[in-house]
Amino acid sequence: MSSLALMRFLEAAPHRYDAGMRLITLGRVTLLHRLLAEVSVPRPGAHVLEIGCGTGAVTEQLVARGAVVTALDQNPEMLELARKRLREAPNGSLTFLESTAAEIDGLPEAGFDVVVASLCFSEMSESERAYVLKAAFQRLRPEGILAVADEVSPERPWQRVLHALLRLPQAGLAWLLAGRLTKPLRDLAEEVRAAGFEVRAEQRWLLGSLTVLQAERPG
Amino acid sequence: MSRAGDVARDALQAALRLFPWPTEAGLRRVGSPGPESPVLITGNYDLTVRRLLRALRGLDAWVVVAPSSGINVWCAAAGGHLTTHQVVTALKTSGIGSHVHHRRAILPPLAATGVLGREVSRRCGWKVRFGPVYAHDLPRYLAAKAHKADDMRRVRFGLRERLEMGAAWATPTAIVLGALAALFSSSWVLPVIGLTAALAFGVFLLYDRIPGPRRAIFAGAAAAVALVLAALSGGGPAALVTAALGPVAVTALLTFDYPGSTPIEGGSHFEERRWQITLDPDRCMGIFSCWEVCPEGVYEKRENPRKVVLAHDERCIRCGACIVQCPEDALFFSDEKGARIEPQTIRRFKLTLMGQRTIDSGEAPAEASDTA
Ligand SMILES: C[S@@+](CC[C@H](N)C(=O)[O-])C[C@H]1O[C@@H](n2cnc3c(N)ncnc32)[C@H](O)[C@@H]1O
Ligand code: SF4
Repeated sequence: MSSLALMRFLEAAPHRYDAGMRLITLGRVTLLHRLLAEVSVPRPGAHVLEIGCGTGAVTEQLVARGAVVTALDQNPEMLELARKRLREAPNGSLTFLESTAAEIDGLPEAGFDVVVASLCFSEMSESERAYVLKAAFQRLRPEGILAVADEVSPERPWQRVLHALLRLPQAGLAWLLAGRLTKPLRDLAEEVRAAGFEVRAEQRWLLGSLTVLQAERPG
Repeated sequence: MSRAGDVARDALQAALRLFPWPTEAGLRRVGSPGPESPVLITGNYDLTVRRLLRALRGLDAWVVVAPSSGINVWCAAAGGHLTTHQVVTALKTSGIGSHVHHRRAILPPLAATGVLGREVSRRCGWKVRFGPVYAHDLPRYLAAKAHKADDMRRVRFGLRERLEMGAAWATPTAIVLGALAALFSSSWVLPVIGLTAALAFGVFLLYDRIPGPRRAIFAGAAAAVALVLAALSGGGPAALVTAALGPVAVTALLTFDYPGSTPIEGGSHFEERRWQITLDPDRCMGIFSCWEVCPEGVYEKRENPRKVVLAHDERCIRCGACIVQCPEDALFFSDEKGARIEPQTIRRFKLTLMGQRTIDSGEAPAEASDTA
């Protein structure tokens, strides 16, 4: 039942996004955000850049762990909700930017300990992803961490078939209702490596269709 | 792609026009473009991209396809899917910067509801200007050194566009209603499909030309025709009732989004129609960006003093493009009671009045605190 094909539909109506995402992932999106935040904040005070923060679910966890966060999203309605959610964030711990992911190339080089992106890379074209991954690499200090959660095609053939079957009706519905399509990423780890990173760990969820990947900018 | 394949794809996309059809965003070459060749930007709707490439055949040019969620330029710009951000994304990540010496790009003016030229240039250094509305005018426009003739500015809704919208609505409605009819009786399927398709084309060919209460007149006429056909073919009472009521229901369905599907009406609800494009002449500095982007020829330029006038505001379809582009905030929507929708609201939330979003003029959005 659960795949992320309906994600785009939910995004079209930001105020429904959070509740909807919990539903289509059977509640697991909350766990996912928590896990992502755990691997992303090595210590309080770490500087974290979050790409595609959406309604701020991950952002909230990052701030709660004491990180100093720069969070960006290109969708002003999403950002509006994130601002509301993080109204109470301690002063100086959080900056929101309304900008597209590629514009991180204007942020200071080696200025961050961690770059996080949750469910955002799968919405980009291949050339955009390559550009953003390279730019993220340069934003990280040596030994800095990239943490990505996203929809991917499962590794095992039987999982791929099952996943495709489960995903199809949802994808069709999302297309008809909202005219939105997302494509699971074929080989995220490879793309991350191509940008210069070393992949440290990868965890798969939901029939292997959701990945949490950690990579490092070599020192 | 082969010619036959191209034609088949055209037909399929014409039938599925109301649904997005994404193609990969990024860079395309036309001919053998060089460092001085023109750069054209469009959205990643497959049909648009193919039409654009076809229109440019024989020229040398770069085409940068921006991620507009697989939606055509106008709808994407009005719905917040083709904004400054997607254009900046495309210009930065397509690699076009390493292929050309200049930093000038041409955008379709129907993107003006979503894309703010000066923001693009502040964010990534490219100067964008709005070219002709239709791709087939591009060769003439480029040959004239980017001079836009007056006949390249207006959106048309001629026979071709009317047939395209007819097909776009005929296909999905006929499929759905045909399938519903099949649940009752297989002999109803063809008449239902035929009638639905005829009504869809009828709506887009005739509807705006009917005087008076057009929905009632159109539905009444359609029901009368269906009744006569049903009676002539010896239909029973059930068929006669369906013939009388079916066209009324189908007309309601087809005309529901009529304003959103055509560039000839401004808004589907009363709520939208109450807002009028309004000019504050004291603020107008004669920059003429509204005149430049308006697809309906609403504005005329005046000298002494150098200002625009709303010469044909009855043509306005409330697309919001002029408001978004005006650097002096001299344009806004207002209603009879003096309520206003401010330019910042329109710009930030793409509150165009083409049925895309609900309108909330009371609550101003919180100001952006960011520095991008
Ligand atoms: C599916 S949501 C995920 C939101 C949040 N990270 C979460 O996990 O709940 C994807 C978000 O990425 C943003 N996004 C997609 N592509 C982007 C891009 N190129 N630049 C900036 N933001 C982008 C969208 O606006 C949206 O808010
Ligand atoms: S005058 Fe009306 S039709 Fe013309 S650009 Fe402005 S809102 Fe659109």
